[in-house]
Amino acid sequence: MKLLEVKGLTKRYPKFTLKNVSFSLEQGRIMGLIGKNGAGKSTTLKAMLNMVCPDGGSIQMLGSDFRQEEERCKQELGVVLGGIQFYPTKKLQAITDVTRRFYQSWDDDAYQRYMSRFELDGQKQVRQLSEGMKVKYLIALALSHNAKLLIFDEPTSGLDPVAREDLLELFQQLVESGQRSILFSTHITSDLDKCADDITYIRNGELIASADKAAFVQSFQSLKQPGEDSLNLEEIMVRSERGNYRV
Amino acid sequence: MSKLLYKEWKLAVHSVVYLFLLIGALLLVPAYPYGMIFFFGCLGLYFTSQFARENSDAFYAATLPIKKCHVVKSKCLLFVSIELAQLAICIPFSILRLWTLPEGNPVGIEANAAYFGFGLIVYAIFNFLYLTVLFRSAYQVGKAFVIAILPATAVIALMEYAVHLPSFAWLDSVQMADVPRQLPVLAAGVLIYVGGNLLTYKAASKQFERVDL
Repeated sequence: MKLLEVKGLTKRYPKFTLKNVSFSLEQGRIMGLIGKNGAGKSTTLKAMLNMVCPDGGSIQMLGSDFRQEEERCKQELGVVLGGIQFYPTKKLQAITDVTRRFYQSWDDDAYQRYMSRFELDGQKQVRQLSEGMKVKYLIALALSHNAKLLIFDEPTSGLDPVAREDLLELFQQLVESGQRSILFSTHITSDLDKCADDITYIRNGELIASADKAAFVQSFQSLKQPGEDSLNLEEIMVRSERGNYRV
Repeated sequence: MSKLLYKEWKLAVHSVVYLFLLIGALLLVPAYPYGMIFFFGCLGLYFTSQFARENSDAFYAATLPIKKCHVVKSKCLLFVSIELAQLAICIPFSILRLWTLPEGNPVGIEANAAYFGFGLIVYAIFNFLYLTVLFRSAYQVGKAFVIAILPATAVIALMEYAVHLPSFAWLDSVQMADVPRQLPVLAAGVLIYVGGNLLTYKAASKQFERVDL
């Protein structure tokens, strides 16, 4: 069953266009959305979530049209868009106290478990957290209402190697039951080597490829130099994107 | 609706709003243009919007399981709750004034039924212009304030000027005999406030649907 199906997503800005992006995510899978900075990863995620007003395309999420059933879809959706940028002077507990009221399936035990696992103190203000801790707090919120689909924008940026490893392991545990799926954007491709099942690659606003990891890697082997072993995701991205910066 | 209001009051309200809620105490100043209370009310709404913008309140709200238009609804509800609370807090001061300062206000309008009607009209105009301009971008709070406060202040000035005209002396009265003439102003205020805020929500939501956060 597809938990997410994006068809023809288009967003035009004066100097950038997200062109006709289409991909889908099956239940129980982890998909990595890759591309260099400014490629359109965040625009894709925000346009999917109606935070950016798309010029075209449709989003089927958890079996419903997202635009028509925005509230229902969001109940089963966990979202982390970058680090926490809101209410720097508020305590985490205050933000949680508000957030939990909006979710029908809020699980306080799960919330306490994740806060403890991430070593977060609810009495701390947002501004007292490091960037990594901010991401962890948002992830704790996203995981505390039994979301079936988790959408994360650069969740591992700002995390130390131990926390990153821990988070990637958590991602794998979350999809183990086969009920949940995760879509996360990143430019740290080594994260995807560890945990992604599928890869979607965006370059300059265009979808280059979207496939399961093995097929994706295979489809880029033409970039190999003679005598080289199979390319990994980082090499694929670097060779596809490398520009000429001579000035 | 209660969840949205809870979110606003818990996370998005600037503390200065609590001070402006009590601004109705100015009704105990013997000689003062009481229309300024509405002006300060609008100023408090501007400060709290600025605070919300600096705290990326709209972005947080948009991640919650609500429709995009509910982000606007949330702010409309906050504005209405602040304004009505402020006017409600004015009422005991306006009654207290009758006993403590029976000689009346020589500067401008008395705190009577018509005064409250005008207050509702001022806030309806302010809300419509402020929120429809604000939600074109969700961040231009200063521009929205300038556009909204000018006509709102014009209504306040008109109210304060009108009571000095002999033919509108009944507007400046706290006598029971003049209350029947003032009640239609209050009723008009209620109607304009209710209709205006519904229109504000509709128009501002339409603007906000096109905004990229």
